[in-house]
Amino acid sequence: MLENIPILSLLLLFPLVGALVTFFVKDQKKAKITALVFSAIPLILSLLMLTEYVQNYGPYQFEETYSWIGSLGIQYMLGVDGISVPMVFLSTLLVFLAIIFSWDIDHRTNQYMALLLVLELGVLGVFMSLDYFLFYIFWEVVLIPMYFLISVWGGPRKSYAAIKFFIYTHIASLVMLLGIFALYFEAGSYNGGNYSFSMEVINSVSPMFGATFQAIVFGALFFGFAVKMPMFPFHTWLPDAHVEAPTAGSVLLAGLLLKMGSYGIIRVAFPALPSGAQDWQWVMVVLAIASIVYGAVMCLAQKDLKKMVAYSSISHMGIVLLGFATFTEIGIAAGVFQMFSHGLITAVLFMMCGIMQHKAGTRNIPRLGGLAAKMPYAAAFMMIGFMASLGLPGMVGFVAEFSVFTATYDAFGWLLLIPVISVAITAAYYIWAMQRVLFGPVTTEIDTAHLHDVNWYEALPLAVLCGFIVLFGMFPQLIMGYITPAIEGIVTLLGVI
Amino acid sequence: MSILEYAWLIPVLPLLAFVIVGFLGGKMKDNGAIVAVIGVGGAMVLALWTAFEVLTTGVVYKPESMEWVVLSSDYSMEMGVYIDSVAAMMLIVVSFIAFLVVVYSTAYMHDQGKRQRRYFTEICLFVGVMLGLVLANNFLQMFIFWELVGLCSYLLIGFWFERPAAARAAKKAFLVTRVGDVMLMIGLFLLFTEFHSLNYELIWGNLTTADQTTLAFAGFFLFGGAIGKSAQFPLHDWLPDAMEGPTTVSALIHAATMVNAGVYLTARAFPIIATSADVSLFVAAIGGITAFIAATMALCAPKIKGVLAYSTVSQLGYMILALGTGAFLWNQGHHEAGSLAFGAGLFHLMNHAFFKGQLFLGAGSVIHYVGTEELSKMGGLGKYMKVTSITMLISCISIAGIPFFSGFWSKDEILAMTFEATDVNLWFLLLWIMGVATAFMTAFYMFRMWFMAFKGEPGEGTKHVIEHGGHHHEAPIAMLLPLVILAALAFGSWLSLFIGDGFYSVINVEGEFHALSIIERLEEVFSSPLTWVSIAMAGGGIALAYYTFNKRRISAENVVSKGFPKAMRQLLLDRYKFPVAYDKIGYVGVYGFSLLLDKFDRYVIDGIVNGISKFLIKAGGVVRKSQTGFVQNYTTLLLLGVSLIIVLLYVVGALR
Repeated sequence: MLENIPILSLLLLFPLVGALVTFFVKDQKKAKITALVFSAIPLILSLLMLTEYVQNYGPYQFEETYSWIGSLGIQYMLGVDGISVPMVFLSTLLVFLAIIFSWDIDHRTNQYMALLLVLELGVLGVFMSLDYFLFYIFWEVVLIPMYFLISVWGGPRKSYAAIKFFIYTHIASLVMLLGIFALYFEAGSYNGGNYSFSMEVINSVSPMFGATFQAIVFGALFFGFAVKMPMFPFHTWLPDAHVEAPTAGSVLLAGLLLKMGSYGIIRVAFPALPSGAQDWQWVMVVLAIASIVYGAVMCLAQKDLKKMVAYSSISHMGIVLLGFATFTEIGIAAGVFQMFSHGLITAVLFMMCGIMQHKAGTRNIPRLGGLAAKMPYAAAFMMIGFMASLGLPGMVGFVAEFSVFTATYDAFGWLLLIPVISVAITAAYYIWAMQRVLFGPVTTEIDTAHLHDVNWYEALPLAVLCGFIVLFGMFPQLIMGYITPAIEGIVTLLGVI
Repeated sequence: MSILEYAWLIPVLPLLAFVIVGFLGGKMKDNGAIVAVIGVGGAMVLALWTAFEVLTTGVVYKPESMEWVVLSSDYSMEMGVYIDSVAAMMLIVVSFIAFLVVVYSTAYMHDQGKRQRRYFTEICLFVGVMLGLVLANNFLQMFIFWELVGLCSYLLIGFWFERPAAARAAKKAFLVTRVGDVMLMIGLFLLFTEFHSLNYELIWGNLTTADQTTLAFAGFFLFGGAIGKSAQFPLHDWLPDAMEGPTTVSALIHAATMVNAGVYLTARAFPIIATSADVSLFVAAIGGITAFIAATMALCAPKIKGVLAYSTVSQLGYMILALGTGAFLWNQGHHEAGSLAFGAGLFHLMNHAFFKGQLFLGAGSVIHYVGTEELSKMGGLGKYMKVTSITMLISCISIAGIPFFSGFWSKDEILAMTFEATDVNLWFLLLWIMGVATAFMTAFYMFRMWFMAFKGEPGEGTKHVIEHGGHHHEAPIAMLLPLVILAALAFGSWLSLFIGDGFYSVINVEGEFHALSIIERLEEVFSSPLTWVSIAMAGGGIALAYYTFNKRRISAENVVSKGFPKAMRQLLLDRYKFPVAYDKIGYVGVYGFSLLLDKFDRYVIDGIVNGISKFLIKAGGVVRKSQTGFVQNYTTLLLLGVSLIIVLLYVVGALR
């Protein structure tokens, strides 16, 4: 029934139209409802896509191709495979829930909601583009709303954080763009002067690229993506951005924007530069392991709950990169699954940070205490989020983490012993934070008399996310079924099997 | 149609109860107690029936597993059921004790009001996942449930989360066992890459063709998980703290069932461990050391639950010692002896579960009555708590190792097998001596506890209750009945040696086993001088406790008030400084390092980032205007970006 509907274009169209419409709705309440409706439609569309997608079919599906700037070989070309399908679903889900969670925003509400929808447009575009130029455009589109979300609705140091976020990631995208242009010209010369930004066209000749060329260009692309993920030592923009960003901004920043970096590696860098990837394998492994352990240890030191969660993202995104860098099917598939699960889990964590800030007036861990007695529902959500994030089986993070480590031993042997330490450290910082925030006697540091539990607009998104965390934790095949068949092609290209 | 086809329902029933109580328990009058009783009771009926079927027919029930998740073309994870005699025995122990504890809890937790909902929710979850752990047919599935029982343990230790001590204890339990879990995970990664499956039978069947070094490491790391979960040295120190939870939780989770998971894992990994003599010896040594040092700490423990906690650690040490010894003997080609030691370890697991479950529930009854855990404030309770004191006496005799009580049979067998291994390796002589010394200490500290609680002058707490309480009656029937049933088993579970072909002919590694008749076994046991050594140790320990704490001919106060005994006592009360060492590693080592790293992150890494940007701002001067407002700021940057792109395009184009 859906064969003739351009489902991917519609996925882009509704957030775009929604952003425009919402922007002009001056009434706050109506603006919220408008935004909610316009984010619900893409969610429904992505669910339709999930059901219509043929799992055991490797190539792109729902493809749409229109020439855009023909003379430069730029096309409007969309398509999804097993790697992007979970990401598209995650994006539509998180934006929808972030809008609900932002129900109490009362400052320039229409603009705020419109920006969230623009963000959705950009992120979805990144995950669906099959043309490098289009990919880059969407990539840049994402920066703008996030910059404004931080700088207008952010905390006390918002302008510092926003500008840092912007400059850092913008420089990274410029370096990446350089790499993309290099690919464009190089591939064009192999195609007999037929220049095109199409991923398919470029990737078809990529194994022929010279080794030096591949190494240099891969370095450029990898830098761009590593900043975005972010990998140690390019990570310092992230904690600042998170601490200042409003909750919905943090949810989408960690849940979706970071995934763009790892998605870029798997979608852009690997297929286009297979031998370059091999040259950089050890750099990737070292940075991944450093991020995993460094991020985890940093979490222990943090007093601000939100900063702790921000550093935990660095650690968990390190697991994604480690999986990719094994160049094995299981490692890459698990890395993609980790992207998905981290998106769900980290959204819960950042929402909890927002709730703490909002209800208790502080996120400072030593000042909080005994909150489980005062806000049992919030405590339950926090526990589920923390337990999921520390990789408890039965929740969505476990299978991915376990498989990445299996792949690590498979590929690198005893090197496994370093990243696996993080499993214990991760438990330590979450369990310790939980003890200090939720348990013990009720704190006297904050006004607990007026402390009340979660509101409906907070409980609803948290409940949905926790439900998915448990559902996909118990039935990981629901997501892995999409991912696994898509990985084989990439590994073949990498020339490993 | 056989009952076995419904075996998968065994964990499902308590999990259903978990969901029902969790969501609806608050609306129920009894906060979900009856649902929990039904859920766990149903699981028990099904589990006992299943176990009966497996044990009597001798079949191993292993239906086709189902694919859980496909990770790649060569890796996938499966879920399935595997019930052999070992699993069947575990099913009996876990489901039966769980049911009794839940019944007991309906009375014991009654004063907790609305909180009972959370209690019964978590208990049902625990029972479900523990039974799931037992039924697993592969190590991954076991690990999944293994972690979930850990979660339940964490939640239930911290049941009174507003108490700082409980919150701390819960954290400690989770983190210390997590260290073991990391080791276990490493073991799983090794096995998974070696076999591309974690199925028990597949691994057991392909051991000879696999890489032997990998197997040795895998055995070592798998056992690391057991060190954490079963509270073995040096990760034992979480268990005494875990006593902060409700006593029923201590009985069920931290004595009778969950802590046995480590032993069960070791039993499942037995063929892997047995491929390496070194690893086997290591396992045995850890068991022996744990049994010994935990027993010493129990000698002067001031709280009733403290004594039982150390005692649990010590008895788990015995089981691990048995399995390690068995693996070693097996490795050396003594298959029958190895198999017997394996059986002895699991026999002790079963016996211990009964008498230790009984002791903890008895302790709960005492605490319920007297309102304190301090042994020194009890005393003279025997007069007022007849049922509790007599049933606990039976368990004490059993654990002390007096003949014909169940503890005697398994402990004696373990010590005998350890001694037998001395022929092959002299280290086992040391382990045997430690085991015998532990037997002596066990008898002493158990009877010290019993005399201090039930005999002698009434203590502060006892007087207080007699004077003010007015409720001169024991606990309600729902609490007493489980005590009596478990006491009966604490005495009588040894009879399983003589049911059918006997315990050892069912619970063994593999291979031929001749069953001994009652006469033969009695002859064998009592003709051995080793047996008499065991009995002498038990008798000596009890006698010493009698003269010290009942007759008070030997003054404990005088002994521990001077010189070396005093210092030793302090060291034991400080638990050999293990808690301090853990804290040093955690707070000073790891946390201190993280603080340093935080400085490094802030000043060095971010310093470089900000330094570069400052340099650029100074050098450029253009961007400085951006300080005026973000819109201009952004536009400038965008322009800068676009112009950069154009320049780059031009350069790249020119290069071509």
